[in-house]
Amino acid sequence: MAEKRTYEVMYVVGAETADEDIAKLNETIEQIVDKEGGSIVKTEDMGRRKLAYPINKKTDGYYVLFEIEGSGQEIAELERRMRVNDAILRYLTVRVDEERKTADRFQAKRDKRHARRNTQNGNANESNASEDARDDQ
Amino acid sequence: MEKKIKTDNDEVKDIDLGDEQKIDRAIVPPPRRYQRRRQGQYVPDYVDWKDVDFLKRFIPEGGKILPRRISGVTAKDQRRVARAIKRARIMALIPYVSD
Repeated sequence: MAEKRTYEVMYVVGAETADEDIAKLNETIEQIVDKEGGSIVKTEDMGRRKLAYPINKKTDGYYVLFEIEGSGQEIAELERRMRVNDAILRYLTVRVDEERKTADRFQAKRDKRHARRNTQNGNANESNASEDARDDQ
Repeated sequence: MEKKIKTDNDEVKDIDLGDEQKIDRAIVPPPRRYQRRRQGQYVPDYVDWKDVDFLKRFIPEGGKILPRRISGVTAKDQRRVARAIKRARIMALIPYVSD
């Protein structure tokens, strides 16, 4: 339980929302995360963009993305808050640590194989080449 | 790719060998051949649901997710791409339907 998890939390508010309101919202989120013992790794302001479909008769949204590390409690609290906030059109939390880990593992495997190939580049044997071709697909 | 088409043919052949050939023929449509897109179908190790430009490659005009028989990616990659698309749809980054 003590393990650390990484989440991506994104929310959309209507594009007409004032900048100071968004700033205030972000501040509250930071406070909640802080209080529940998590930490914000990254904040990315994705800015205004067109919604792919209208939500509550709004066609444009303002996107903000957080990357949060913690136990999961802060996520529960955040989602509770976002659910009741009328300004927030949509929010989504995705746990990313595990998928990233598997991605890193694949990358490490590939690096290793490339290193191995480079050491024995003198005798380019066929089985090795075909193996690489298969994995590149 | 070759393998799949072969099995399709086998299935049809089995049915044709049945007793009531005509009826079976009427019911079973001929196997469809699909144009596959195999080239340049590189899927990264981590499929990012925020990467709209990448995900758009799997979404034709109507907004539906391109089926695997056409997208030509591996089953695993298709699942990851589909999941990412569904996440992006929730956040209105990608439409559920268009046109």
